[in-house]
Amino acid sequence: MKNPGKKLQDELRSMFESISTEGDGENRMTVKCRKEAVITMLSFLKKTGFDHLALISCVDRLNDNVLELVYILSSYGGDVAMQKLNILLKTTIPRENPQFYTATEIFGNASPYERELHELYGILFRGHPRLTPLFLEREYDIPPFRKDFDTRKYVKDVFDQIPFVDDKKGRT
Amino acid sequence: MTKKSGKMDRNNIGKWFKSPGNMGQKYSLHALYFCTGCGIIEIPPTITTRWDAERFGVIPVATPRQANLFLITGYVSVKTLRYIIRSYEQMPEPKYTVGFGSCPINGGMYWDSYNTIKHLDKYIPVDGWIAGCMPRPEAVFVAVTHLWTLIDKGMATGYLKYREHYAKYRRNQEKILGELEWPPLFSKEEENEKSREKVAG
Repeated sequence: MKNPGKKLQDELRSMFESISTEGDGENRMTVKCRKEAVITMLSFLKKTGFDHLALISCVDRLNDNVLELVYILSSYGGDVAMQKLNILLKTTIPRENPQFYTATEIFGNASPYERELHELYGILFRGHPRLTPLFLEREYDIPPFRKDFDTRKYVKDVFDQIPFVDDKKGRT
Repeated sequence: MTKKSGKMDRNNIGKWFKSPGNMGQKYSLHALYFCTGCGIIEIPPTITTRWDAERFGVIPVATPRQANLFLITGYVSVKTLRYIIRSYEQMPEPKYTVGFGSCPINGGMYWDSYNTIKHLDKYIPVDGWIAGCMPRPEAVFVAVTHLWTLIDKGMATGYLKYREHYAKYRRNQEKILGELEWPPLFSKEEENEKSREKVAG
């Protein structure tokens, strides 16, 4: 098969409503869909041969007031042309009180990615088996990877407030 | 070459008689192999055959309980700081700390990061700094020879300052890390310091 993306595009269009696809279908294909369709689409793509979830990423689109989730899938099985293809499955969820369903039932390795997003963007993944803190030591009012988190102000308020330990001879 | 080094040894005899302890410490620095940040990538070539830190008496050890030189190699995140403090308190005295790279000095390229401490010397005493991003392995040896000079002159006294101002350091540590799960290293020092301040003030 020379261009697996073209065939996949047609299949996806016939199965799912209101999706848009971009890309040439050889190296990278971007699929945008409604958030209701994501879990179904992930399990469909896994059955089709895209059995490796490389990353779940998130983009904070402050102007549109949405968070964009990006699922990056690639293939270990299938033929060579298919192995070259990466699929970026994108969806948007509202920024206020963001909630989404977990993908751990389909891809087990989604678990640490979702914990990371929960911590850094404040997204609540429903049905996740263990949504405990992963990286951060301190607690933040706003999750620190959101665009409205002012790092400069945070550094001034927290780290710059701690005094130097001064000796009588000078700074130790 | 042999003649010159022989001359140097004879010059050092006075120092050996004057303070044998200092001379022993300065030529056997046991560096704690603690991987903080990206600077640790410079340490394997430094301690192995290419630059061979053992020429300067620096040898890496496995646990903080055997070490007396603490190289903070690179940025210090809040999570790492907790373990830096624990390791530092476990090291036997006398102990020397060297900040390696520009990140422990003032934050470096992480100056506005939400999760990286900016000044390491607010939390533990630091005897010397190596500036640069990254410093070359040669800079480690420059730092070591500077540290020799400081030990000779009795200026590498970070561990004594930690003893003296332990209450202040502990206060700073608790401000950033919250409740610390280990007991204070010098429990009575806080009262001593308060009484000292009363006498002085």
